[in-house]
Amino acid sequence: MNVFLNLRKLYNTLKKIDKIVISSSTSNLHLVREFIEKKGDDLKINTNTLNQILVSVDEACTNIIKHNYNYNENNTIEVETETKDKKFIVTLIYKGEDFDTTKKSSPDMKEYFAKFKVGGLGIPLMKKSMDSIEFTHTQPDINSLTLIKVI
Amino acid sequence: MDEFTITEKKQDGLVIICLNGFLDAHTSNILEKKFEELLSLKSFKIVVNFSGLTYISSAGLGVFMAYIETMRNNSGDIKLCNMSDKIFNIFDMLGFPVLFSITKEENECISKFTETV
Repeated sequence: MNVFLNLRKLYNTLKKIDKIVISSSTSNLHLVREFIEKKGDDLKINTNTLNQILVSVDEACTNIIKHNYNYNENNTIEVETETKDKKFIVTLIYKGEDFDTTKKSSPDMKEYFAKFKVGGLGIPLMKKSMDSIEFTHTQPDINSLTLIKVI
Repeated sequence: MDEFTITEKKQDGLVIICLNGFLDAHTSNILEKKFEELLSLKSFKIVVNFSGLTYISSAGLGVFMAYIETMRNNSGDIKLCNMSDKIFNIFDMLGFPVLFSITKEENECISKFTETV
């Protein structure tokens, strides 16, 4: 196990991956935003782009806490950041079934406002803020959601 | 600094609530409770001043969507003002300016209410 952890640490160091792990509580969302903001400031990502990344990562974590973990705080979300080919990449690793919530279609906003609908805006906001989003599931129960933004 | 706080004042028959801190899935229930309180007091004309708000997510947007219809059905409204570019961009990204009046200054926001009285 130690060998695996050391290899993972070495891999992360070589690929300049930074990571935090939070327990699955909405009270920790601000910690994730602070972590991403610090990375963005270090990389001198422009304010507008960084704000889009922040809201996207926040929405993704909220979605996981709400729908994947049903607000059970005894779980974790790993938040990793990496920069590659002028892209800022955030990967969220969490436990769960093979279910990609980002596949859900976005609401028609004209109808949404006309009918005064409520909720369901997290994923559209997440998608509109990033250049691409990738979901992968690894057996038995590990999901990773990768949010990619050109910087 | 507190995560999220609301201060309130009254002017010209309107209630002006000023938001401070961040409005996300963790703090949005505080704003929800404030709107419930306003409804119970039959305050339907609400100005929301965003000058102290540093962040908003869809959970925050959802609170405004949840109450605007009731306010309008009672001859009131929720009008928004003093947003930073960061906050406005989130509202704008999903097209909220179509449904909500968003002005730069609080006075402008108050005037919009008196225009429609």
